Formats: sequence, structure tokens, C-alpha cells
Amino acid sequence: MSAIVHFFQWCDSAAISQAIRNSRVAFPIIENFHLFALTVLLGSLVVVALRQFGLVYQAQLISEVATALRPWNRWSLAVMLTSGILLFLSEAMKCYGNIPFRVKMFFLFFALLFQFTIYNRIVQKEGASAPLGGKIAAAVALCLWFGVGLAGRAIGFLG
Amino acid sequence: MSILSMCQWLQDTTIGTSIRESIWVFPIIETIHVLALSISVGLLLVSDLRLMGYIMRRRPSSEIYEQIKPWMFVGFGIMTVTGIFLFWCQAVKAYNSIFFRAKVVLLVLAAVNALTFERGIYRRVDKWDNALVPPMEARLAGWVSLIFWVAIITCGRTMAYTF
Repeated sequence: MSAIVHFFQWCDSAAISQAIRNSRVAFPIIENFHLFALTVLLGSLVVVALRQFGLVYQAQLISEVATALRPWNRWSLAVMLTSGILLFLSEAMKCYGNIPFRVKMFFLFFALLFQFTIYNRIVQKEGASAPLGGKIAAAVALCLWFGVGLAGRAIGFLG
Repeated sequence: MSILSMCQWLQDTTIGTSIRESIWVFPIIETIHVLALSISVGLLLVSDLRLMGYIMRRRPSSEIYEQIKPWMFVGFGIMTVTGIFLFWCQAVKAYNSIFFRAKVVLLVLAAVNALTFERGIYRRVDKWDNALVPPMEARLAGWVSLIFWVAIITCGRTMAYTF
């Protein structure tokens, strides 16, 4: 318990955290990038899921749609994590006692785990149509990532 | 009746007051507004990137655009409805915000860009549908669309800081 609290205190007092807190515009600018990346990350996820459900782009294989959007998915995730870490650092002690933050980290952990161990491999193998298991995986991925977004928004409201 | 007094009247209506004063309704509407960015602008991005000639180049531009359009409209429908309710409950603050005003102007410009595209180069899409890289006018429409939406998201997010 005390090790965790010390880690959060250390994050909160880091030079970069103070720099973000002392700037009037840094936090809003970083949060804007967090939001652009959310749009691209969830957007690319939704398109692949729609394809797996057989609702769009039937002329392309599922793996083709996933491959076309993969760089957008990866880069938006990179921006998401970078901006997210900066936002966290600047208010680490606020996050420490914040229930939605904990829920968000829970969802984030499982969203990343599911995507990189299971989901990416599934879509990479799928052709013209997704079996039931693939559709369920798409729904699980959507729930996990939208869960991250939902809990993330709640950090601000229930802070 | 000035616009400001109309805004005052609007947020003093029963609906405006009850959304503003509720603990849960406002956050829920705002969360939907934020997450629906993925199915509005997120899907538009795919169509715009095809117009710019960056992704799915082996498929016709019209196919990429037309098939995603109904879902995109679902997204923009959710954005519009939730956006109206958000404005409804804090119309005066919105009216006084430079970012809100900029957002409205940018929304109009984005719509003009979309209409110009539909009525212009897209009428002749059969001539360039299979082009790996669409003609300049179509690429420009894609770029302008993306730039406007980045600016709209920025204004939307930033206006909340000023409230």
C-alpha cells in the first residue's frame, strides 16, 4: 500500500508533472491530442468490427481491412498512451484515490492484453466472413476499449 | 428578442434546468457525445483517407464512402442529438464562449465542404472511382474535412475548460 502511494507521490512531484501543472495550456493541449487519438483508435476498431459483423466492406477480406487500418490503430494507441501518461503524471495524486481511474486501468490492462494476445491474431486469420467466435471477440474488444473511454471520461466527473 | 435572451430562455426551460442540475444526466450525455466521436469522425476518417489516396487503394473510392456512410450518419446523429442537449442546458455559457462560436462556424464550413464535394467532383466519381490516388479536388475535400474536424474537436474540448 505504502509503496504504491509513494510511487504516485513520486510521479506527482516529478519535474515534468510540475511543468504541466504550472502551464495554463499544457494540460488542455495534451488532452486534445488524447481525444484525437481516441477518435482514431476507437474509429479503426469500430470499422474492423463492422467488417467482422458483415456490415461493411464485404469486397475486402477481414484481414485486409484490419491490415489497412493497423498503422492507424497502432499510432493512435501510441499517442493515446503517451498523452495519457503525461496527463496522469500531472495529477497522479488526484488519480490515486479516484475510483474511475482504477476502473480505467483495469479495462486498459485487459483491453491491451486481449488485443495483443488474442484479437489481433483472430482478425489476421479471418477471410470473407467471421465465425461466431470472431464476432464475439470483436464485441469483447469493443466493450473493453469503450470501457476504457467511459471510465476515462468519469475520472473528470467523479474526481 | 436577442440571441442572448433566447439562450437564457432556452436554458431556463424545464429540460435545460433539469439536465444542468442533475448529477447523472449531464455526465452521461457528455460521455456519449465524446465516445460517439469514434463512430462519427472516426468513420469519416476512413472515407477521407481513401479520398486522399492513403488506404484501401485497390477498392473504389465510392465503395469505401457509400458503405460507411449509413454508420457515419448514425454517429453524427448521436453527436447532433447529444450536442443539442448539452447546448440546451448551458446555452448562455456556450453563447459567450469564443470556442463555441468558432465550433459552430467550423461545423457550417465542414458541411459546406461535404456538400461541395457531393455536388462537385463526386458527381463524376465513375471517371476516377478506381484511381489509386483520386484527383486533386477529391483529395483536397478529404484534407479539408480532416482539418475542420480536428479544429471542431479542439474547440469542443477547449470550450469545456472555459465553462
